[in-house]
Amino acid sequence: MASQSYELELFPNCKVTLALFDGVENCQDLKRCIMEGKVDAALLNVSMIIEPFQVLVSANKAFHVQQHGKMKTRNINSEILFNLSPTNNISESFKRFGVSNEDKSLLAVVLNDSNGEKLQRLTEQVEGTRIDMNQLKDFTDEAKIKKVYKIQDTELTNSTLLDAVICRMATKDAS
Amino acid sequence: MEPDGAPTSSVGQTCDVGELIKQGAEARVYSTTFMGRPTIVKERFKKKYRHPTLDKKLTHRRTTREVTAILRCRKSGICTPTVYFVDYESHRIYMENIENSTTVRDYVASEQKETQETNPETLVSLAQKIGTLLATMHDNDVIHGDLTTSNMLLRQPVDSSSPVVLIDFGLSSVSGLHEDKGVDLYVLERAFLSTHPNTENIFEHILVTYRKKSKKSSDVLKKLDEVRMRGRKRSMIG
Repeated sequence: MASQSYELELFPNCKVTLALFDGVENCQDLKRCIMEGKVDAALLNVSMIIEPFQVLVSANKAFHVQQHGKMKTRNINSEILFNLSPTNNISESFKRFGVSNEDKSLLAVVLNDSNGEKLQRLTEQVEGTRIDMNQLKDFTDEAKIKKVYKIQDTELTNSTLLDAVICRMATKDAS
Repeated sequence: MEPDGAPTSSVGQTCDVGELIKQGAEARVYSTTFMGRPTIVKERFKKKYRHPTLDKKLTHRRTTREVTAILRCRKSGICTPTVYFVDYESHRIYMENIENSTTVRDYVASEQKETQETNPETLVSLAQKIGTLLATMHDNDVIHGDLTTSNMLLRQPVDSSSPVVLIDFGLSSVSGLHEDKGVDLYVLERAFLSTHPNTENIFEHILVTYRKKSKKSSDVLKKLDEVRMRGRKRSMIG
């Protein structure tokens, strides 16, 4: 599947669409477009993503805090980036989980795109190829993920890397 | 449709959160799915007899304590359910439902019945796992607060490599005090011995392993002795 759409049980009217792009030449431009509000999507650094579930957990929390007027960032797309981060430092989360200027690939997250228009518009702006979501794992950088999320091997004796990451994302506000 | 302390549904009924599977003094536990994954939702309900501001603060604190303890244990290698989402508005914790598992309680009971021995090897090995788990937990200053064999799970099929999964951190706290750790062990001792007859030797194995594996065990076990001396019908002369 070129892109995948998900519905969240807790927010049945909200749709989350993920699309993977490679061979991207204009990440710098795309970043600028986001800042200027011309792109309605979250552009994620693919190397930090293990599985779509990780993104869905982040999106779920984003919808929740938006509903209750408790977003920490400017809009719901940036909130998705923020929720992926294990810390509460907003600019750090953008730097780590958003695309950088030199990146050649990205994972796009488009919300509530019922007729596919938003994704279509985004695809037109990306100078790159949309590839199958199944290839996501080829981009995952486990060593970097362990470093950023501060996951030691002790924890991984009885847990998957994904669970370790999800748990940190979910319990971030508790401390 | 705010939960107000009085149960609005009975066990087995399904509402918008999921199917109610347990109702405790402090929280209701529902079963549902989260992104297709089998999930438990633990919902702490309002206590109307409390002042609302105080109730909100206490409930929030209990919720954060629970998830903090879970993460802290995970980081030290202890098996716990994965927390997926915490809803601080309705005080709900969405976490992994450990399916196809048996409680240590049921396992001990069935092993005793099956082998008819007092110290079956399987239970000794289980005791060692529990002792190691408790040592790790206490060395990380996590007090579980409600240690019972019903709060320990074993994923099926149970064999020598199956880790013990610790659940229900609802009464957890973080503390370095030997007293708190001693009390934590005492709670388990009382729960263990009263639930499982003739298991004094098995429990002793837990403590022996705890002593071996924990760095601060001697002080904690000394406290355990002191705590045992307290309570009803016990002489404090010691």
